[in-house]
Amino acid sequence: MTDDRLLEVRDLEVEFTTRDGVVRALNGVSYGVDAGETLAVLGESGSGKSVTAQAIMGILDMPPGRITGGEIIFQGRDLLRLSGEERRRIRGPKMAMIFQDALSSLNPVLSVGYQLGEMFRVHRGASRKEATARAVELMERVRIPAAKDRVNDYPHEFSGGMRQRIMIAMALALEPDLIIADEPTTALDVTVQAQVMDLLADLQREYRMGLILITHDLGVVADTADRIAVMYAGRIVENAPVKELYAAPAHPYTKGLLDSIPRLDQKGGQLYAIRGLPPNLLHVPGGCPFHPRCPRVRDRCRTDLPPLYAVSEQAADGAADATGERAEAVSADPAQDEIARVPELGARSSACHYWKETVDDARRT
Amino acid sequence: MADTTREPILEVRNLVKHFPLTQGIVFRRQVGAVRAVDDISFTLYPGETLGIVGESGCGKSTVAKLLMNLERATAGEIFYKGEDISKLSGRALKAVRRNIQMVFQDPYTSLNPRMTVGDIIGEPFDIHPEAAPKGDKQARVRELLDVVGLNPEYINRYPHQFSGGQRQRIGIARGLALNPEIIICDEPVSALDVSVQAQVINLMEKLQDEFGLSYLFIAHDLSIVRHISDRVGVMYLGKMVEIGSDAAIYDHPTHPYTQALLSAVPLPDPDAREGRERIILTGDVPSPANPPSGCRFRTRCWKAQDRCAEELPLLAVPQRYADADTAVAHDSACHFAEEKPQVTHA
Repeated sequence: MTDDRLLEVRDLEVEFTTRDGVVRALNGVSYGVDAGETLAVLGESGSGKSVTAQAIMGILDMPPGRITGGEIIFQGRDLLRLSGEERRRIRGPKMAMIFQDALSSLNPVLSVGYQLGEMFRVHRGASRKEATARAVELMERVRIPAAKDRVNDYPHEFSGGMRQRIMIAMALALEPDLIIADEPTTALDVTVQAQVMDLLADLQREYRMGLILITHDLGVVADTADRIAVMYAGRIVENAPVKELYAAPAHPYTKGLLDSIPRLDQKGGQLYAIRGLPPNLLHVPGGCPFHPRCPRVRDRCRTDLPPLYAVSEQAADGAADATGERAEAVSADPAQDEIARVPELGARSSACHYWKETVDDARRT
Repeated sequence: MADTTREPILEVRNLVKHFPLTQGIVFRRQVGAVRAVDDISFTLYPGETLGIVGESGCGKSTVAKLLMNLERATAGEIFYKGEDISKLSGRALKAVRRNIQMVFQDPYTSLNPRMTVGDIIGEPFDIHPEAAPKGDKQARVRELLDVVGLNPEYINRYPHQFSGGQRQRIGIARGLALNPEIIICDEPVSALDVSVQAQVINLMEKLQDEFGLSYLFIAHDLSIVRHISDRVGVMYLGKMVEIGSDAAIYDHPTHPYTQALLSAVPLPDPDAREGRERIILTGDVPSPANPPSGCRFRTRCWKAQDRCAEELPLLAVPQRYADADTAVAHDSACHFAEEKPQVTHA
C-alpha cells in the first residue's frame, strides 16, 4: 500500500484573516490517496473540503488564506516547500482539478478547443495546429459527439453535461497522476450525473489515476469511492473504507448523516435530523466541535478534543459490554492514548471518544 | 393520508404554456415557441402531497408559476374548488392567491435583505388586510416564528443573520401567514446541507398534519420526494409521462424514462454497487423549442420504434395492466409501458 502512496496530507492547517477575526478553516487535516484509488471527501458546506483541495493544488487565495502548518507530500516531495515555479510544473502534468461549476470555470470568450489546447501549448510547447488536433482527440476521449465540428464552439454552446466533460478533458489532458474533483456533478441532473461519473470511473481505471472526489452526496460516494474521509469543522472526523463506513459508522456525525437520508421503511414518519446548525468557524465550540449537536455527548466531549483513534474490529468486538468505562479507562492512560492517537494513514479511524459505542450501536440496529 | 373520495382542491386540465421566441427589434415577429408546459393535467386533494419530479428544463417550475398565476397560461384551466382561476384578475385573483402560497427554492434570494424578519413574515397581512389578525400583528408574527421553530426574539433581525436552513424556515413562515390551504414548494430543500434538509422536511410534515395543508412538492431529489409524497408525477420536456401513488412510481414504474431516472440515482449503499443494473441514458434532453414528434422521450429511449415518432402516447393506464388491481395499474404515457423488474429504488 505505502509504495503506492501518491499523496499524503499531514496535519494541514489553514487560516483565513477576515474582518471579524481569524477563521481556522482547517485544523490538522490528514488523509492519503494511493494510485488508482478513489478517496471521497465528504462534508457539508464550510467543513473545509474545498479549502484542502485548493491547498493541495496550490490555488488557495493567499492572502487572506495562510497555511500555518502541516505537510503535503506528493510523490515523495513536500509541496509546501517548493517554489512557485516548481509547483506550476506539477500542476497540470502531475495533478489536475475538476471544478464544480463548468460554466464559470471556462472562459466564455475563448473557444473550448483553444482552452483545451492551452495545456499542450503551455506545458508541452505544442504549436497551435498540434494543440487543436490534441484538443479534438481529448474531446473524443470524453465522448463528445462530433468533436471535430465542435472544437471551435464556445462554452455557452454546450449543455451542462457536455461542459463538465470538457472540464474533465482539460484535467486529463496531460494524463496526471492525481485528479481532484470538487463536486463534479452537483450542478447536473441525475441522468447526466450517471453519465459523467461513469466516464470519470472509466478514465480513472484506464490511466490508474488517484482521484479525490469532494462531495456531499452520500449516494455518489457509495457508488464510486474506495475510501471515505468525513470532514466536520475543519477536521477529519472519520476515515474508513467505504463498505465499513456504511455498515457501521464510527462517528456520531457520520451516523447522523447516514440516518438523515430518507428510507423506505421510515416513509411517513419523522426523518432523523441532526439537531442544531453547523458551527461558525469563527467560534468553533471547545472540546469536540460536534458536541453541541451530538446525541451521545458526555462531559468529556465538552473539554477534550478527541484525537483520531484507530478503529479496529477486535477492539470494537471485545468492547461490546461495558464499553463506556473501558473507553474511558483506555484513553485516561496517556501512553495508551498515544498509541491510539497515531493510526496508520489509510487505516480506519474516528475522532470520537466513544467510537466503540457508536460502532456497536450501529451494528446492533 | 389523502382522502381521494373527496372533491379535489386543485384540478389542472390540459395546461399549456408556450413562451414565444421572437426575432427583429422594430418589427417583432414570432418565429417559434418554447413549449415549457404542454398539455398537463393532474389533481391535488385536500391534505395530500403531490410530488413532481423531473430534470432541469422539464417545466416543473413553470407549472408552479402557472398555479400561482405568476405566469398566464397559454391554454387550459386550473380549477380551485371548482372555480377556474387561470383567467381571473384583479380582486378575484387576489382573493384566490390568499389560499395558495409558495415556498421558493433559494432562501438567499427570496427574502428581501433590507426587511426585518418581522416585516417579511408580516407583509402578507399588509397585502391582504382582511386576513390580518385583529389588533397585534406582531404577536401573530411571533407565533409564526415559534411554529416554524425559530426563536420569536429574532423578529427584528435581518435575513443575513440567519443560516440557510433558518432562512428557509422564515420563507415557510411567510407562506403560512395567511393560513393557506395549498402550499407550492419549488425545490424547498435543494439549497440546504444534508443535515439541515431533514430538519426542514420534518417541519413541513409537522405543519401539514397541524394545519391540514396540501402540498405540491417540486424537487429533483427522488428520495426526498418519495419520503414526503402521497402521489408522484414524473415530467419530461413539458409533458407528464407517468403519475401514480408513490409505491406505483417507485416500485412499479412502467415508463422507460421513470425507470432510467430511478436507476440513475446513486444509492447510499456500497454493497448494491455491483448487483445493480443501471440504465444510462445517452445524449441530452432535446430543446423544448423544437421537441421531437410523437413521444418526446423517443430520442433517448431504448424501446423506441416507428410508432413512437408518429403517435403521441396518451397518459393512461396501459392496456396490459388495465385489469391488474395492484399498484402497477397507473397512468403512464408510453406505447410500450411495461414493468422492468430489475429497477428498484430504496
